[in-house]
Amino acid sequence: MNYFKYYKSIILICLCSLVMANVQAQNEWEVTTEQDKNLSPFMFDDEMVLEGKISYENSCTSCHGMPGQADYTPMAPPPGDPGSNQFQLQNDGALFHKIKLGRGAMPKFEDVFADDETWNIIAYIRSFNENYKQPIPDLGGVEIPKYDLKLAFDENVDKLVVKVFSKEIPQPEVEVSAFVKGTFGKLLLGKIQTNELGIAYLDVDPKLPGDAEGKLHIMVKATKGYALAKLNQKMKIVQPTIRKSAIEGRHIWSTDKMAPIWLKVSFFITIFGVWAVLFFIVFGFRNIKKAGREDDVMIE
Amino acid sequence: MNDTLSKEILTDDQIEQDLLKNINWGNKFKLWLAFLAVSLIICLYFYYQQIEHGLGVTGLHDYVSWGIYISNFVFFVATSLIGMLISSVLGLMNVSWVKPLARIAELVAVAFAMVAGLIIITDMGRPDRLLNVFMHGRVQSPIVWDIAVVVTYVAISILLLYIPLLPDIALCRDKLKNVPKWQQKMYKILALGWKGKAKQFKLMNNYTRILLILIIPIALSIHTVTSWLFAMTLRSGWDSPIFGPYFVSGAFVAGCAAVIITMYFFQKNYKLDKYITIDHFDRMGRLLVLVALVYVYFNINEIIVPAYKTNTADAKHVQEMLSGHESIMFWMVQLGGLIIPFLLILFRPMRRPLPLMLISIVILTGAWFKRVLIVVPTQLAPYYPIQNVPEKWTHYMPTVPEIAITTGSFILVLIIMSVLAKLFPVIPIWEIKEEINHNKN
Ligand code: HEC
Repeated sequence: MNYFKYYKSIILICLCSLVMANVQAQNEWEVTTEQDKNLSPFMFDDEMVLEGKISYENSCTSCHGMPGQADYTPMAPPPGDPGSNQFQLQNDGALFHKIKLGRGAMPKFEDVFADDETWNIIAYIRSFNENYKQPIPDLGGVEIPKYDLKLAFDENVDKLVVKVFSKEIPQPEVEVSAFVKGTFGKLLLGKIQTNELGIAYLDVDPKLPGDAEGKLHIMVKATKGYALAKLNQKMKIVQPTIRKSAIEGRHIWSTDKMAPIWLKVSFFITIFGVWAVLFFIVFGFRNIKKAGREDDVMIE
Repeated sequence: MNDTLSKEILTDDQIEQDLLKNINWGNKFKLWLAFLAVSLIICLYFYYQQIEHGLGVTGLHDYVSWGIYISNFVFFVATSLIGMLISSVLGLMNVSWVKPLARIAELVAVAFAMVAGLIIITDMGRPDRLLNVFMHGRVQSPIVWDIAVVVTYVAISILLLYIPLLPDIALCRDKLKNVPKWQQKMYKILALGWKGKAKQFKLMNNYTRILLILIIPIALSIHTVTSWLFAMTLRSGWDSPIFGPYFVSGAFVAGCAAVIITMYFFQKNYKLDKYITIDHFDRMGRLLVLVALVYVYFNINEIIVPAYKTNTADAKHVQEMLSGHESIMFWMVQLGGLIIPFLLILFRPMRRPLPLMLISIVILTGAWFKRVLIVVPTQLAPYYPIQNVPEKWTHYMPTVPEIAITTGSFILVLIIMSVLAKLFPVIPIWEIKEEINHNKN
C-alpha cells in the first residue's frame, strides 16, 4: 500500500512539472519596445541570404529544421518553424534580440555571431516570406551615402590598400573588413577604420596560396551606419601556385593506367609463369596415359 | 626406417583391404551427409535472404565493413596453409613419418582453400559484379593480388591432392567392383590409364616434385598477401610490417590443429589405428608445440613494440586489447586458445589422441576468434572519431543470417572432406606398401 502511495505522488509530481513547463512556454518572451524597433543596418540582398543560409544550416537546423517544412525537433516548448507566422509576424528587432539572448533550450548566440552575421540569418529567414518588406529605418532626413571602393596592393610592405570614396570624396572612419575567399570559406585579413585620407591598410601574408596566376580572390566590405559597400576582386598578390596531384609520383596508389612497370611485370610474370607450369602438368597427364599404353603394345 | 607405423607385419593384401574399407556408401554415412545437406540448405536460405535484401541483413556498417565474413576468410586461408607445411616442407625434407598424413593435410588444404574463395563472395553486396574484380581490378591493389593467389593456390592444392592419388585411384578401379557404375567410370577416367609402369611413376614423381616446390612460395604469398590486405591500410593495429610472418605462423597453428582433428575422426571412423598411430599424434603434437611457440613469439612482438610507445594510436589499440573493451576476448584467445593448450601439450599424456584432439578443437576455436580480434576492433577505432552517426555504428555484432552463412562455410568444408574421404583412400596405399616393404628388408 505504501508503495502505491509513492507511485501516486511521483505521478503527481510528473504531471505538475509538465504543467509548469507548459506555463513557462506560454509565457510571453519579453522584448522591450526599443529592442523590437531595432532594424537591420543593411538592406537584405541575395548575398546576405546565402551567408545566412550557411549559418542557419550549421547552427539552427538541428532544432528548427528546414524553414517552411515544420520539421523542427519536438521539444517542450517547441522551437517552432522559422517559415511560419510564429516567426514571420514578429519584427526583425524581436527576432534579433531572441537569437542573441536565447531562452531555455534556445541557445544564446550573442557570442557566436557578430551582429551582421545575425542579420544574415534573419535575411535568410525572411526569404521564406514573400510578403515581407524590409522596413527602411527613419533616418531623419539624412541620406545614406553610397560608397565606391578601390583596391591596390603595396608589394613593398605586403599591404592591401583599400580606399573608400563617396562622390569622389575620400571617407574617413569607415569600417573596412577584408577577406580572402578560399575553397571552403573565407579568411579574415583584418577589420580596420579608414584614416583621414579614406584609406585602410591591411596586412596580407605573401605566402598565402594563390591560383595558377598568383591571384587571390579578395572580398572587401565597407560599412558606416547604414551605408554598406562590397567589392570582390581577384588581385595578383602572391606567387603562382603550381598545383600537384596529391598522388603524383605515388603510382602505386594511383589508377590502373598509372601502375608502375615493375609491378605489372612482376605480377603478371609470376602469375602467368605459375599457371604455365600448372598447364604443363595438366597436359602432362597425356604422357602418363601414353606411358601406360606404350608398354601394353610392347607386351602384346 | 619408419617407426611410427605399426610393428605388426602387414601383407599388401591386408593393407589394401584396410585402407580401401572406407570407400562405401554405408547408411551411417548417408545419414551424416543428409544431415550436412539439410544444415547447408538452411544456411543457404539465409544467403538467399542476403542476396535479396543486401548486406543490410548483416551487422556490417560504414565503419565495420569487414566483420566475421572476412575474419572467417582469413581463418580459412590460414587453415589451408597446413597442406604446404606437411606435404611440401616436411615431405621434401624426407621426414618419413608424415607420409601417411600428407593426404589428410592436402584434403584439409583443398577443402578450406576452396571454401575461402566462396567466403569472399558472401561478403560482397553485389556478387553478380564479381567479374568486375577481374576486368577492372587495379594491379596495385592487394585485393587483386589476393584473388590471384587464392585461385592459384586452390589449383595447385587440387593437383597436389590428385597426382599422388593416381596409383590409388587405379587400385580402386581394379579392386572395387561393387561400387556404383558412375563411380567405377570415374575411377577409370581419373586413373589416366595407370598401370604402375616405371615411366608413369617417374612422371608422377616429377610432377609432384615440381608442385611441392611451387606450392611453398605460393602458400607463403597467399597468406602474406592476405595479411597485406590489412597491413597496407593506414589503420592503428594493422599498420605493422611483421603482419606477413605473423599471419603465416598463426596459420600453421590453426592448420596443425585442423589436421589433428581430421586425423582423429578418420582414425576412429575408418579403424585406421595401424596406420595413423598413437605415435603420429605424438609427433603432430610436438609439431603443434613448435609452431605455437613461433606464433607466441610473433604475438609478443606484435603487442610489446606498439605498447611501449605509450601515446600512439597503435598503443591505444593495444591498450584496448590488454585491459580495455576487447580484453575479455583477447585474454580468452591468448591464454585459453594458445598459451594454456600449448603448455598442456608439452606433457606426453596430453599428446595421446583423445586429449590432443580436444586441445586442438580449443586451439582451432581460439584461432577463429583471434582472426575476429585482428579484423574488427581496428575498424571501430578510426583516426577520425566516429561522430554524428547512428548509435549502432559504434559497435559491431554479427546478425543471425551472418552467423548462419558463416556456419554454412564450415558445413561446406565438412561436406567436401567427407565426400572426398568416401571416394578415395585417405592414406596413400602405395606409399605405405613401399614403406612397409622397405621396413621389412
Ligand atoms: C538546441 C535547440 C535550438 C537551436 C540549436 C536553436 N534554437 Fe531557436 N529555439 C529553440 C527553442 C526550444 C525555442 C523556444 C524557446 C522558448 O519559447 O522558450 C527557440 C526559439 C527561437 C526563436 C523565438 C521563436 C518565438 O516563437 O519567439 C527564434 C527567433 C529562434 N529560436 C531562432 C534560432 C536561430 C536563428 C537559431 C540558429 C542560429 C536557433 N534558434 C537555434 C531551440 C533551438
